[in-house]
Amino acid sequence: MMRKILKNEWTVKIGSAVIALAAFCMLWQAVTVFTGMGDFLPGPAETFAEFFRRFVKPYGKAVLPMHMWSSLRRILIGYTVASAVAIVLGIVMGTYRIADAIVMPLFNIIRPIPPVAWIPLAILWFGIGDASKYFLVFLATFLSVLQNAYAGARSADPVLVGAARMLGANDGFIFRTITLPCAVPYIFSGLQNGLTAAWGQVVASEMIRSSAGVGWIIIRGMDNNDILQELVGILTIGIIGFILAASMRGVEAKLCRWTTRGK
Amino acid sequence: MEKNSDLKFKVISCCSVIGFIAVWYLCTDILQLTTDITLPGPVKVLHTFIDKFTNKSPDGGTLLQHMWSSLRVALSGYAMGIIIGVPLGILMAWYRPVDLLARPVFDFVKAIPGLAWAPLLIILLGIGFMSKAVTIFVAALTPCVLNAYAGVKQTREVHMWVARTFGATRRQMLFKVAIPTALPHIMTGIRVALGSAWMSIVAAELIASSSGLGYMIQQCRGIYRPDVIIVGMLMIGFIGSVLTWIIGIIERAVVKGQTHDA
Amino acid sequence: MNDMKVRVKSLTKKFGDLLVLDDISFDVKKGQFLCVVGPTGCGKTTFLNCITRLYEPTSGEILVDGEPVDLRKHNVSYIFQEYSTMPWLTVEENVAFGLRIKKKPEAEIKESVDEVIEMVGLQKFRNYYPSQLSASMLQRVVIARAFATKPDILLMDEPYGQLDIELRFKLEDELIGLWKKLGTTIIFITHNIEEAVYISEDILILTNKPTTIKQMMANPLSRPRVVTEKRFIEVREQVTELIKWW
Repeated sequence: MMRKILKNEWTVKIGSAVIALAAFCMLWQAVTVFTGMGDFLPGPAETFAEFFRRFVKPYGKAVLPMHMWSSLRRILIGYTVASAVAIVLGIVMGTYRIADAIVMPLFNIIRPIPPVAWIPLAILWFGIGDASKYFLVFLATFLSVLQNAYAGARSADPVLVGAARMLGANDGFIFRTITLPCAVPYIFSGLQNGLTAAWGQVVASEMIRSSAGVGWIIIRGMDNNDILQELVGILTIGIIGFILAASMRGVEAKLCRWTTRGK
Repeated sequence: MEKNSDLKFKVISCCSVIGFIAVWYLCTDILQLTTDITLPGPVKVLHTFIDKFTNKSPDGGTLLQHMWSSLRVALSGYAMGIIIGVPLGILMAWYRPVDLLARPVFDFVKAIPGLAWAPLLIILLGIGFMSKAVTIFVAALTPCVLNAYAGVKQTREVHMWVARTFGATRRQMLFKVAIPTALPHIMTGIRVALGSAWMSIVAAELIASSSGLGYMIQQCRGIYRPDVIIVGMLMIGFIGSVLTWIIGIIERAVVKGQTHDA
Repeated sequence: MNDMKVRVKSLTKKFGDLLVLDDISFDVKKGQFLCVVGPTGCGKTTFLNCITRLYEPTSGEILVDGEPVDLRKHNVSYIFQEYSTMPWLTVEENVAFGLRIKKKPEAEIKESVDEVIEMVGLQKFRNYYPSQLSASMLQRVVIARAFATKPDILLMDEPYGQLDIELRFKLEDELIGLWKKLGTTIIFITHNIEEAVYISEDILILTNKPTTIKQMMANPLSRPRVVTEKRFIEVREQVTELIKWW
């Protein structure tokens, strides 16, 4: 029976993940108990307890789930709109050289500028409310997804395209059956990177100017020198980020079963 | 014929950029759709750019001083990230026990944007070089580890077997097969980490710093000087490009002979 | 008994409940060229992997020069079915790979590499990378690498399976040349009966799973061999009869 459990790849992975995280927490606990750091660093038990406590006890004006929702709200709209626009534009650019020639040089100037660098300008233009955050999430997602969609559209094997043309296929057909499927793995890669970038962007912009959200929590904590608040904030950010990434991977696995992009 | 159409597209690209600047100029200086405190025109931006090389106001430092401050911190954190991250990734991929224990922790930490550690580090280390450098370190670490890990995992079994039949020790297999196989991935990781590092220094400086390009643009927001902000943004982009270009050269030199799938 | 290079005694290999190799015993003389033929999937590769300890035998033992196989002590080269050149090394460095693992002195490495590269005719391509070479050249690199260490035993697992007939004959002749010059003991796996009759001194015929020895026969033909000759065809049909796996 034990052998069967150990042989199942899934259980080994999840089991070792649980053990690893438990071991990490024990190490953390040991550090707080046995070293000088325990004077100011809260242990895992305290942190997790505080995390759950904040579901009812507010940080500032809102409880933890409300802050989580604030942050998620900012990401969801910006991300979906930006992804849609970027995928379309990227594929167009990858397929038609003229679009490439017009947009690419502008993109190459904007791309190296990290989205965080846009924050002061965004605040100047859109104020300190949600509008600037939507803009920034849009920007961060857009840059990432566009790049990948473009690479995807261009990755269509010219040999395949040539063969199809020779057999009499028209542009639309080639697009649907060759260009698009070849681009899909790249697009998903872009969507994943875009999601990570968008999440990072939300956190960053909340840290710099906002009145609610997970980024706000850790900046408040910094102002109050409250390490416990920091840890709860980091934990929350990690959990949401992890769930977002895992969901994305799940969607991709479902839709892209014919290609293995590695783990 | 190819050359003609290539040239045609290059001309279109140039026109695109010129057109963009023209429209910008049109909107700001001619049609006066915006003011100097929301969007300055290209002429003003150019003027400010040249001026900022020597002028310390309005934020307390010249352009070069800020550049150097940012670069110093970014490169320190980045170097540490590579030095620790790449060997860590290799070890994680090579020794199964380390893999099973470290990987889940890493998968979770990976989801936390590097910047989120900054406030904690500021509490622990105060505002200054160390907290920023460690933030960069954390941001640069993840891509290095993940890519080194993926690279080693790609090692082909047949190559290991070749080494083994020649009598190689485990250690020889690591250095003569696994690591060379991983090299293209490691270089990708280093390149991505650079992007992360550069981005993180800007972000860290936006939060709490007294110098650096991020600090500069943050300060100038408060005093409504978008011309300096745009100059700063362009500089940030420019330096990021130069650094990436340098890494690209190193990458091409190191990865000769191997074709690497992204 | 001292000129027995390899002695296989009651070799048995099971994967879980699947019995692949069943009590196989035979000897290989020093300098002998042995071809192992049998139906596809009968465990020929498993068999080679047991010899090199890449798989551990379930029971039985394999002795080289009277001792159990030890890859660090015994000089073994293995040419795999899949392409196994290291893409990050040039042709020259690939060929030197085995010698470097064995930590031979630089001078010796240079001499062996030069000698072997010349034998396979790749002098012009010394500094090329595998990605720039054709399939047959890649196999030559692998063969050069295998011979560079002047192995006691050379194991080859259907190395020419992917190549066309003309190339195959060419490489087979080259191999025979190298074998004659260096006196290596070679165990060569193939499912191509014509190939086996062409290159071997002895032929070991295996059965289907669970695999045992059908017969060990000596190849009566003298060299040089001509594939279209009557005698050749007779021997070939004889072996085919013995194998008769369909």
